[in-house]
This record gives sequence, structure tokens and C-alpha cells, in this order.
Amino acid sequence: MDAEQIIKSLTTKFPDVISDAKVDSDIRISAYSEAEKIVEVCKYLKEELQFGHLSAVTAIDQIQKNEIDVVYLIASYDHPVVLKLKARLPRDNPEIESIVPVYWNANWYERETYELFGVQFKNHPDLRNLVLPDELLGDWPLRKDYKGFPNRTAKNLV
Amino acid sequence: MDPLNEKPQENINEDQQLAGEDMDMENIIHNEIPGVITTTSQGITEFLKTTKIQDLINWGRKNSLWFMAQAMGCCGVEIIVTGMSPMDTDRFGIIPRNSPRHADVMIISGYVTKKYLPALKRLWDQMPAPKWIICMGDCSISGGPFYESYSTVQNIDKIFPVDVYIPGCPPRPEALIQGFLELQKKIAAKKDKGTAYMR
Ligand code: SF4
Repeated sequence: MDAEQIIKSLTTKFPDVISDAKVDSDIRISAYSEAEKIVEVCKYLKEELQFGHLSAVTAIDQIQKNEIDVVYLIASYDHPVVLKLKARLPRDNPEIESIVPVYWNANWYERETYELFGVQFKNHPDLRNLVLPDELLGDWPLRKDYKGFPNRTAKNLV
Repeated sequence: MDPLNEKPQENINEDQQLAGEDMDMENIIHNEIPGVITTTSQGITEFLKTTKIQDLINWGRKNSLWFMAQAMGCCGVEIIVTGMSPMDTDRFGIIPRNSPRHADVMIISGYVTKKYLPALKRLWDQMPAPKWIICMGDCSISGGPFYESYSTVQNIDKIFPVDVYIPGCPPRPEALIQGFLELQKKIAAKKDKGTAYMR
């Protein structure tokens, strides 16, 4: 299947859930999904469309729109296509269902997204900080309104 | 009451009696044996610092600077290179050691994150005195490329007594060896921070 067919298959299966689906280039497609239905979409991608490789989970802080986008980069071994699937969440209380039951390797990605952006992944097996020290948890360092950045306390600067 | 608990109480009473009766005994012993000076090893070290013997001790110390092979950032690669045979640091008595308990020099080789600082302090405490610190690379001096980061610790020199700074990103092995030579000069001139000299 090429990029067009994959988008068609996704939008016909989930007409109300998938929006803004478009082909970025020959090998890249992007789409927005409703946050509530993310697990079903991922399950369909993995089981019906052979998208077996989750390469990253991260987030984007859209402070002007008061939203946080969670980004899933999902690739396939059978089609030469990488799918960029996004889900919009409200900035004050970002909560989304964990996709660990579908892609097991999302475990650490979601923990990292949690510690850096404060996105709560519901039903995650073990949602705690991955590399951030405990005292920084709750500051969400990669959010745009993080107070500790830039850290201008260095004395030895030229 | 069981007999096990009674015995220590008796002992305590005896001790108290002894201490009460013979309070002067201690002073007598310390003062009145002719030719004997009671002191501590700390006292001897402090005394030696005022004499010429300290020069000899420092000569020995400066020629056996064993450093801890503790790679923290990308500069750690250069530390490993420095320890390899082409650099031949043995001619200066500089030898890499894997345990902090064998080492004299700790090289802070890279960014210190907030999470790593407690471990670094612990390594420093595990090293036996006399010990010295070399700051290697821009990261440990001022933060380097990460100077504005949320997770790095700034101003390492306020936390550790740093003797030598080696700029560079990363410094070449030759620069590291030069840093060691500077440290040797400092020790020979009794200006290092590893030993508290009387001034
Ligand atoms: S000074 Fe440069 S080479 Fe050394 S740890 Fe920092 S970034 Fe890496």
C-alpha cells in the first residue's frame, strides 16, 4: 500500500476520529486523532495495516492554542511509510490513554513524555520519572512556560 | 530482672567511681613521664607542614598522581585516551585507577547533572586524602554548551576545591597532561588546595 491508500483506509475506518490526514511526501503521512480513540486507532494500525514499529512518542507544547499535542511516530516494515499521528490535549489537564497494551515499547517513551511535559497516561503500568531527578518532577521542563530556563547562574562565563 | 541486664549496670557504677576518685590521675600521667610527648597523627602532620620535610612529602605526592578513570561526559573519551599506552603518562607517575579508594585526583570531565551530583560527592568522599580535583572541559568550568540547561549544576568550584581548570571542548590528551603538570607545579610550590597549609 502506498501513502494515499493508507490514508484512505484510515479515514474510512474512523471517519469521525481521524482529521487533517494528509500526505507530506512519498514516505511520510500525518494525521490527527481524537484523544479518546487513540488505542483503537493504534490497534487498527498495528493489526490491519502492518504498522508494527513505534519509533517514538513525544509531545509539542502549543502554548498559543493552549494545547499539548502528543505525537506518535509509527513506521511499518511492509509499507515504505512513516505515520505521524497526533492527538490534541488541553494544556491544563493533559490526559490520554496509554498505548502500552498495543505497542509495549511505548512504556519508556510515555514515561519520558510524562516527566518532561506532564502528560498523564492513563492505565500506564508504571508511570514515574524515567531520567529526571525526583526534585524536578512536577516542573515539566520542556513546557514553554517553564521558569527554570534559561538558567543564568553560571559565574565563569566569558 | 534477668542477670544479663544486671551486669552492665554494676560495671557502669564501678567506672563512675573510678572516674570520680582518680580525676587527677590522667593529668599526672600526661605531664610527668619525662621525655614523652603525647600527640596524634593529625598533630604530627600539622607539625611537619611547618618544616622542610613537607617538601620531600610533596615531591613524593606530586610524582604519583593516580587519577580516577571516571568518565562523565564526552570528555571522558579523552581521559581514556590519556590513560592508554601512546600517551605514556607513567613517566609522570600518572596512572588511571578504577576505584576511588586508590585515586589521588578526581577529574570532573563533563557536565554535572543534578542527578549525578550526589554520586560525584560520594566518590569524592570515598577518596583518601591527600586528594585533588581537576576541572576538565568547558562543561565543568562554566556549563559549556549546556550552560542554560535546566538539569545541569552550575559553578562546580563552589562545591569542590578545584585546583586546575583545563579549557577545551574536549581538551586534547596533551592538554590534560599539561593540566597534570600544572598541578604538580602547584603541589611543589605548596599552593594546592588538597592540603591545608599553615600560612
Ligand atoms: S566540554 Fe565539550 S567535550 Fe567536554 S563534556 Fe562538555 S560538551 Fe563534551
